[in-house]
Amino acid sequence: MENWDKLSKMPYKDIKEMQDRKLRAFIGNQIYLYSPYYSKLLKDHKIDPLKIKGIEDLKHLPFTYKWDIAPTDDNPKKHKDFVIRPDEEVTEKYGHLAKMSMTGGKDMVEDRVYDFKPVHIHFTTGRTALPTPFVYSKRDLENLRESGTRLMNVFQFTNKDIFINCFPFAPHLAFWTSYFGAEKMNVAGFHSGGGKIVGTNNLMDAFEYMRPTVSVFIPGYCYYFLREAVKQGRDFSSIKKIFFGGERVPPGLKDKIKELLTQLGAEDVMVLATYGMTEAKVAWGECPSHDEYFGYHTYPDMEVFETIDPESGEPVGEGEEGEVVYTAIDWRGTAVLRYRTGDIAKGGLLYEPCPNCGRTVPRISSNIQRKSEMKEFSMTKVKGTLVNLNNFFPLLMSHPDVEEWQVEMRKRNNDPFDLDEIVLYVAPMGDINRDSFVADIKQKVLRDTEVSLTDVIFKSVPELIAQLGMETELKEKRIVDKRPTT
Amino acid sequence: MQAWNKISRMPAGAISKMQDELLQKMITEQFAVRHPYYRNLFKESGINAAEIKGVSDLGRIPFTEKKDMLAPPGEPLYPKQFVIDPPSEDEEKDKKKGFSLFGKKDSDADTAKYRFASLYFTAGRTAKAVPIEYTGYDLENLKEAGARAFDILGLTRDDTLINAFSYAPNAYFWQMFYSTLGIGSTALQTGGGRVLGMEKILKAVDNLEAPVLAASPGYARFALQTLGHFGLSAANLERIIIGIDFAPMEVVESIRKLMKSVGTKNNLVQRIYFNSEAKSGMAECEPGFGYHINPDHLLVEIVDPESGTVLGTGEKGEIVITNLDARGTALLRFRTGDIASGGLVTEPCPNCKRTVPRIMGDIERKEHFFKLQGKAGEVLLNGNQIRRMMFARDDVLVWFAEISSSGAEDYLRVVMKNVSETDETAVLKAVEESLKAEYQLPFTVESSSLDAIANKIGLEKLVTEQNIFDNR
Repeated sequence: MENWDKLSKMPYKDIKEMQDRKLRAFIGNQIYLYSPYYSKLLKDHKIDPLKIKGIEDLKHLPFTYKWDIAPTDDNPKKHKDFVIRPDEEVTEKYGHLAKMSMTGGKDMVEDRVYDFKPVHIHFTTGRTALPTPFVYSKRDLENLRESGTRLMNVFQFTNKDIFINCFPFAPHLAFWTSYFGAEKMNVAGFHSGGGKIVGTNNLMDAFEYMRPTVSVFIPGYCYYFLREAVKQGRDFSSIKKIFFGGERVPPGLKDKIKELLTQLGAEDVMVLATYGMTEAKVAWGECPSHDEYFGYHTYPDMEVFETIDPESGEPVGEGEEGEVVYTAIDWRGTAVLRYRTGDIAKGGLLYEPCPNCGRTVPRISSNIQRKSEMKEFSMTKVKGTLVNLNNFFPLLMSHPDVEEWQVEMRKRNNDPFDLDEIVLYVAPMGDINRDSFVADIKQKVLRDTEVSLTDVIFKSVPELIAQLGMETELKEKRIVDKRPTT
Repeated sequence: MQAWNKISRMPAGAISKMQDELLQKMITEQFAVRHPYYRNLFKESGINAAEIKGVSDLGRIPFTEKKDMLAPPGEPLYPKQFVIDPPSEDEEKDKKKGFSLFGKKDSDADTAKYRFASLYFTAGRTAKAVPIEYTGYDLENLKEAGARAFDILGLTRDDTLINAFSYAPNAYFWQMFYSTLGIGSTALQTGGGRVLGMEKILKAVDNLEAPVLAASPGYARFALQTLGHFGLSAANLERIIIGIDFAPMEVVESIRKLMKSVGTKNNLVQRIYFNSEAKSGMAECEPGFGYHINPDHLLVEIVDPESGTVLGTGEKGEIVITNLDARGTALLRFRTGDIASGGLVTEPCPNCKRTVPRIMGDIERKEHFFKLQGKAGEVLLNGNQIRRMMFARDDVLVWFAEISSSGAEDYLRVVMKNVSETDETAVLKAVEESLKAEYQLPFTVESSSLDAIANKIGLEKLVTEQNIFDNR
C-alpha cells in the first residue's frame, strides 16, 4: 500500500509503472501459487504467469463472471477457490523455514496469519444468486481502512467531523467501509445500522443529539428520512455533507435532498456519491463539486481497471463508454482478476489529472449505468419489449410531483400465460391534478422506457413506505416482479 | 487499565484495595469536577467527594436509574449531563506549563482520552433507549474487556465464529466484534436473524465450518430446532456462546441437549453478560461459575431491589454498577434492573482459579416480576421463572405468555407452537401440567401457528424476542 498523498500526485506514467510492477508480483507470487481457481485457470489455458508483465498483458487472461464465483447448491463452497491461501503443502514448507528462524518461527507465523488468515467477511447483495462471501485477512483490513480514509480524503473530511453512518447494518461493504474509514481517521461516529435497526425516530434523535457534520445513506432511505424530519420540524443544521452508497443517485434526487436539508436548517450541503462493489472490497468517492461531475477517484496501488466493449470484450479507449472490468493487484483473502462488473461507465476511464482537485489517480466517469441493484433483471422483457428498468429511477426520483413510487410487473389475471402488465404506484407530492399527472407520467415512461404503463395507482405515503419496505428491508423494493413463473 | 494476567491472579484484598483507589480517583478527578450530573448532585446533596475514600463509603451516594438519564421532551441534549467534560483550554494550558517546568510530556494524550469516538445505546426493551457516549479511551477498554472475555471463554484465533447477536449500536455486538478482530479469528458479523435471516446464518455455520456460534438463547435454540428443516448440518459446531437475554442454566442444558441431538462435534454452551452502561462485558469460564468482572473497569454492588440495601456475599439482588475507569458517559451506582440470582462472590473461581469478583447464578430482569391480582389478594409472578420453564422444554418451538385482567382476577394465557415431530395435544397437556404445579392463578394454554407467534414475539425483528406481555 502506497502513501495516498504521494500516490495521488504521481504522474500517470509512474502510476502505470507501479501497477505493472504490482500486477507482475501479485500474479507471480500470490495468484499463481495460492489462488486455487486462478492457478488452475492459468494452467488450463497454458498461460505462463511470467509472461504477464504489465497491464497490457491482462488481455491474455479470461474474464471472471459473477457466476464463476457465486455458490451453487451443488458447490456451496465455490468461493473458497478464490481465496488466496497457502495450502497445507506450502505451509509445511514455511513451517521448516520457521523452525530455522531466530525466534523459533513465531514472527513468521504471525506474519503469515496477518497476511492470509481470513478475519472478516462480506457478502454480495445479489437477489437471485446466492450471496457470495468475500473474505479479508488482517492485511486486507488495513487496505479497507486505508480505502475508507482515502474516500473521506477525497470528500475533504477531517477528524474534526462528526459522522453518522445510516447504511443498513449487514455484512456488506457499504456499512463496513464507513466504519473502518471513520475508525482509522479517528472521526467520531455513530454506526446506527439504519432505520431498520434503530428506527427512524431514534435516528432523528441521534442526529439532534450528536449534531453530525457528515452522514452517509442509501439514497431512497435518505429521501424518506429527511421528509419525515421536515414533517417533525427537526433541526439538522449541523450537516455539511451527505454521501450516498448502495445504489445510483439520479441528479434530480440530489436536488430534492438539498432542498429538504435547507428546510432542516442546513445550508450549502454537498451531496456526494460513491461507487463500490463487494468484489473489489473497497469503494471510491466522487470528487466533490456542487455543479459538475469529475468522476470516482480510484486506488491504483490496490486495483487495475479496464473498460471494455460489453459485447466483444475488446478494450475501449480513454473516455469511451464501456463496461468496467476490475482486477485486484494487492490483496489477500478473496481476490478476483478481470472481473466483469456489469456496470457501464458512460464516460469511460479517465487518466488525466482531475480538473477539480488535481489528483492524478485514474478516474471512473461519474455517469455509471449501475446495474448492481437490479443486475439480475435490469434488462427485462415486458410485453415482449426489452425494458431497461434503470430508466425508471432518474424519471421518478426527480419528478417534482412524486413523493414515493414503486413499479410492479405482473401478469393479467395473474395468469402466467396472459399479457404482461406494468403498474406504477405513486404517493403524490401534495395536492396535484391526478388526471394530468397520469397523462404526463404515462407519456414520460413511454419516452424513457419504451413501454406503456398499464395503470397508475395512487397510494398514501405511509402505505407506499410499508409496501417499499423502507424500514424493514435492507434496500427498499423499488421494482417488483410479481409475474408468476410457468 | 491493568495487566489482565496480574489482576486475574491478585488476592481479593489487593483487588479491593485497587478498587478503593480507583473509585477515589474517579470520584475526585472525574465525577465531582467534570461530570455535570454528579457534580450537581454532590453539591445539592452536600456530598464531599474527598470523604469517599473507598467502596465502603459509596452508600452516601444516591443510586442513578435509567429514568434519570432519559431526555425530557424537547431536550434532546439532556443525556449529555452524564458525559464527562473534557479539560478546558485553560486547564490544558496550565497543565502544559506545569509539566514543561519539570520536563514532562504535555497532556495531549490525556485530553485524547476525553474525545468522543462512538455512540451506543442502552439495550432496553421497555424503556426508551439512552445514548451512551464512548471515547477512544473507552473503546480501548471495551476491546481489552473483549480480549479478557475470550481468554475466560478459552477462545483462540483458530475458532471461526459466527456472531449472530442482533446488530444494534450497543456493546453486545461491538465487544464481540472487537474480540474476534483482536484475537484474529475468522468471524462473520451476521447482524442476527433480522439482518441475514435464519437460513443464511445456518448456511454460514455449515459452509464456513464454524466451531463457534454466538447468539441469544432463544435464537440459538430456534437455530438448532430448525436446522433439519433447512437440510443443513452443524457437524463442525463445538460451542454456542449465549447472552443478551435471559440465559438460565435450564436453557444452557436445553441447548446442550439440542446440540447433541443434531450431531454437533461438541456441545459446550457458555454465557456472557454485557451492558452498554458498564462499558466492560464479562464472561463465565463454565456455566454456573459466575460472570468474571473486570475489577479495574467496574465496581459491582448487589442491592435489595426494593430497599436498596447493599447485600452480603452470594445474596440474590439487583446489580448496581459504577464505572471505575471511564470517560464519555459515566455512571455512579447505576441500577441495571438485572437481578443476579446468586449475588456477588469474591473468592477465587473454583474452576479457572481467577481471583476477580464474580456475579453468580442466573441474571433475571426486574421488569419480568409482575404483581398480579389474585382471588385472595396480590400475587407475585416471576416471569423469569416462566421463561426458564418454557425455554427448558425440548418440545416447544416458540411461545409467548400474556397477562390480562378479567374483573377481580388476573390471568395468564400461554400460546405456543410445538416442535414438528411432537404430538401437539400431548405437549399442550404437559405445559399445562407444569404450569399448574407452579402457579396458583387461572391460566390457559393454547397452540398457534409459527408465523403468528414469531410475529408476536418479534423473532428476527427485535434485538431479542419478547415472550411476556402485560396487557393489563
